[in-house]
Amino acid sequence: MTHWPETTTPVLPPDDLNTVDMTINIGPQHPATHGVFRMVLTVDGELVVDCEPYIGYLHRGLEKLSETADYRQSMGWWDRTDYLAGMCCEMAYCMAVEKLGGLEVPERAEYIRVIMAELSRINSHFMFLGAFGTDVGVLGTTFTYAWRERERIYDLFEEVAGDRMFPTYLRPGGVSMDLPENFEQRCRWVLDSARQGMEDLDGMMTGNEIFVERCRDLGPITPERGIALGLSGPMLRATGLPWDIRKAEPYSIYDRLDFEVPVGRQGDVFDRYFVRLAEMYQSMRIVEQCLDQMPKSGLVLNPNLPKTLRIESGECYIRTEGTKGEYSVYALAKGGNKPYRMKLRSPSFCNLSGLREMVVGTYVADAIVILGSLDIVLGEVDK
Amino acid sequence: MTEAQARPLPYPVGSQSPQEGLKDLLAKAVPGGLLTFGATATDLDVTVPPADLLTLVTTLRDRPELAFDLLRNIAGVDYETDMALKYHLYSLKHGHALQVTVPTTSGHPHVPSLTSLYPAANWHEREASEMFGFVFDGHPNPKNLLLEEDLHIHPLLKAHPLAKVEILQGIEEGPPGFKF
Repeated sequence: MTHWPETTTPVLPPDDLNTVDMTINIGPQHPATHGVFRMVLTVDGELVVDCEPYIGYLHRGLEKLSETADYRQSMGWWDRTDYLAGMCCEMAYCMAVEKLGGLEVPERAEYIRVIMAELSRINSHFMFLGAFGTDVGVLGTTFTYAWRERERIYDLFEEVAGDRMFPTYLRPGGVSMDLPENFEQRCRWVLDSARQGMEDLDGMMTGNEIFVERCRDLGPITPERGIALGLSGPMLRATGLPWDIRKAEPYSIYDRLDFEVPVGRQGDVFDRYFVRLAEMYQSMRIVEQCLDQMPKSGLVLNPNLPKTLRIESGECYIRTEGTKGEYSVYALAKGGNKPYRMKLRSPSFCNLSGLREMVVGTYVADAIVILGSLDIVLGEVDK
Repeated sequence: MTEAQARPLPYPVGSQSPQEGLKDLLAKAVPGGLLTFGATATDLDVTVPPADLLTLVTTLRDRPELAFDLLRNIAGVDYETDMALKYHLYSLKHGHALQVTVPTTSGHPHVPSLTSLYPAANWHEREASEMFGFVFDGHPNPKNLLLEEDLHIHPLLKAHPLAKVEILQGIEEGPPGFKF
């Protein structure tokens, strides 16, 4: 492993040098783990020999809680899974309940949901850009730029739903209230601001050669291996597979919208970063099309909703494209006003299970960068 | 900086085939009427006993006309009298999805592990194992994942009380039939 220069005479020949593997514990309270995540690295010098992730520090028993509450009461817990994109989680949950209960959603509400989901996606990817920049060493600059734009999106959420991070805005059968009067104008202003912020970040990160050299060719994954490991979302698209559930199995009104699926070339850290950046532009396109197409007035909640939703029986597996990948809900009803079983298939959980394979064989400093490129949210990993 | 060469894709994604033909394809691939077909609100469902799971999933994965290459999810269900595992498979090549139901007995039923076929099954099986008490034969690392390592309870069983820390701490008695 060690290369001895020919000019020096080593005291011991390199083959007889016994190095002892060392175990390093990272987390659970460590800024680079993006939450309460712990990994134990076994290192040989600077090289990572083994990596054992430990999760569950944020396990709140979401699935058990959902079995004990009314279909509408669980809403507030589900947007606390992926807390960077609460609206996407609410959408998946509501779609599962609507599928089982046979509820229809008014057209205007569908457009509002998609606008909110895509704004959440932009918001979540801004968080990634800021935090990833910090992981790689662009220090706080990207973070503050990203935070400025996130604040504007959160302000918009507050105007719409009354809350910023955990809006609990959607309902099975629609959304809880109509948009405020000047929403369209405000939304376009936020998008313009976000576009400017993205261009700034793009220049700071993609235009920074140190950043690019740091990320390129690091932790590459082939498409076949990505599928086998169960990766999804930007992680899988970075390998070159254009698999996006919004296109492959369209739900809501995504089949009416015109957008592209950005893919990477070789699935390395840079591709993961760049796919997310490109996705944000597409999300902006989607929101703008929704603003143009959506009915200007109309119902936003199904008027035929029963006071208490009771579902006799049914089973479904609802898949949506969350911000981190495939955010799916398996739901089973067996009578009564509570679900019999709710299972969350969280994308970060599945992406994180492939961490060991990506990290082994790299350096310790690179392990942090690779972990950052996974863009995990621990609320979603631990449920 | 050299331009990285794009790797060739295993196949074009998004070449969708209609979901209706899937049942016929499955019946042809697995002869002898071994499978029991059903349907959920979203997917075709196939019920298979635990002993035949590995054979079926190997067929599902390796036959080119089926090509279920992605294991999306494993969900355990406790029906109180018995239990079941739900596997959700998807084919990126053909764009079709399938749910495989494996009915089991209550307690600690043995089910073959799919980690040899799908590395993605690793964490899903660890989760189902700790939450319901399934035993996955052949799993490389059957430790607790979300719960504490030395905590041998199965919280998602219907018999498990929702919020009784006192039982865990040994201050109160648990409900009849409930043991940690």
